[in-house]
Amino acid sequence: MAQLRKKSDFVGDTVQLEDVGLRYADGPEIFSNVSLAIPQSSFYFLTGPSGAGKTSLLSLMYLAKRPTRGRLKLFGDDVTDAKRSRLPAIRRRLGVVFQDFRLLEHMTAFDNVALPLRIAKVSEATVEKNVTELLKWVGLEEFMQARPSVLSGGQQQRIAIARAVVHRPKLILADEPTGNVDDTIAFRLMQLFVELHKLGTSVIIATHNEHLVSRFAFPRLHLKAGTLTAMPPATGAES
Amino acid sequence: MIALRSELPLKGDTSSRFVVWLVMVLVFMASIALTTNAYIGALLFHWNQSVTGTLTIQIPVMLDAKDPASTATTERVLDVLNRHPAVERATAVPREKVTELLKPWFGAGEAVADLPLPVLVDVRLSTSEPSAINAVSNSVQSTAPGAVIDDHRAWLNRVIGLAEGLGAIAITAMALVTIALGLTIVFATRASLAEFAQVIDVLHVVGAKDGYIAGQFARRALVQSLIGGGAGLLLYAPTLGFIAWLASRIEPGILPDISFPASHWVVLAALPFLAGLIATITANVTVRRALSAKV
Ligand SMILES: Nc1ncnc2c1ncn2[C@@H]1O[C@H](COP(=O)(O)OP(=O)(O)O)[C@@H](O)[C@H]1O
Ligand SMILES: [Mg+2]
Repeated sequence: MAQLRKKSDFVGDTVQLEDVGLRYADGPEIFSNVSLAIPQSSFYFLTGPSGAGKTSLLSLMYLAKRPTRGRLKLFGDDVTDAKRSRLPAIRRRLGVVFQDFRLLEHMTAFDNVALPLRIAKVSEATVEKNVTELLKWVGLEEFMQARPSVLSGGQQQRIAIARAVVHRPKLILADEPTGNVDDTIAFRLMQLFVELHKLGTSVIIATHNEHLVSRFAFPRLHLKAGTLTAMPPATGAES
Repeated sequence: MIALRSELPLKGDTSSRFVVWLVMVLVFMASIALTTNAYIGALLFHWNQSVTGTLTIQIPVMLDAKDPASTATTERVLDVLNRHPAVERATAVPREKVTELLKPWFGAGEAVADLPLPVLVDVRLSTSEPSAINAVSNSVQSTAPGAVIDDHRAWLNRVIGLAEGLGAIAITAMALVTIALGLTIVFATRASLAEFAQVIDVLHVVGAKDGYIAGQFARRALVQSLIGGGAGLLLYAPTLGFIAWLASRIEPGILPDISFPASHWVVLAALPFLAGLIATITANVTVRRALSAKV
């Protein structure tokens, strides 16, 4: 269960970072020399205090930024300098939950969740079936035709999660996905991620909710002062 | 109909209406420029046709028109001309017609009747060869020294010069209109790219290709151009009618009746589509270039 590996160990993992550093413009490096390997079908928490760089690290993985240093591989494919035209195909294997949701305001909840499927040109019948099913699962079937702005923070969050998983991604990157809901709903949403993980999806959840982390027996990557440390699963938690 | 679904809320964005109005004005200007150009071309063709193969000969007569000497000279010139192989027909312009032409300047009274006027001879040649024109010219000169022979070329060349100048202006206007359209689309597209930066980021994250996003902008630019272009032509139609009415009030003969070839109307009808094509390509390239600067 070792998460931090030497360069020579990089093979067949979902995400591989090799001596990665990231800086914004002329600022200092947010983190440096981060090396990690996320094996297939694994589940990790990414923890650390606010401002430690969790969101930044995830944004490298969902290809919104490129590392300023080091190498990054996704699904065994080196994307450090990959041509832009290659990125959409890789992104379609990812599911991303943003900390601030980023729902499209001009669309209904249904259309927001349907977005990844429609971009991938999935048939409208399948879209209808899968999106409806998923919205029921997250308890929002009554709000399918609602605009995000009329929904509560917790409801918006569930739509954001539904959008991230609707196309059965190989890797889910969730940034504080339970930040706006009470513990009961947070636990229910975690169950969704756990189920997807059991179906073979890799999941990385960034959170600073220690309570949540302690309830699940998953390993964690802890980011602090620009350094990433691997930590074993919480003992006595369910898995 | 997945291809027509729009993930970008482009319909209500700020630059939309602006583009429609601008394309309307541009297509209107382009249609006016094209029509002006076509009209000048047709006018020139008409004048060239009516002038080619003709000569006007002035036999200067300082004496009274009824003077036997001048009548004799005219008779001799007409005789020489009508026997010349390069001449189809030569006729003296009746004095009444000449005085008629001078009426606007001298009035209708006795003054004109008493004027010592040159005799004008209209010559229709059977050929427009320069050598034939020279031969005719020489025989007239030897019969009536001092006769002035005008083949209208100098006049026509000046008119052609003017027409070519106006044609160049029309082409410049078209080029400027095209550039204006391109720049409008570039700026409008950049404005909406900035306006929808967040939405575009989300589309990228869920795996949209640049071409897909560019396509949505291009489609919007196409629709706007077609609407604006159609409106421009709607504005053009009554304008053309008004100009035609103004022209119809001018004395007949000064502006000949000119009907445009069908191709002219086809080109005009194609203007909105041409604008649409330029707009589509410009929007597409603008979006792709802007997005290629991203990660
Ligand atoms: N777009 C940005 N430009 C400049 N600095 C940024 C930007 N985004 C984040 N940062 C900085 O990077 C650091 C890490 O931020 P972030 O990745 O959001 O941390 P976390 O998600 O752990 O709270 C912070 O100091 C933050 O100010
Ligand atoms: Mg964050």
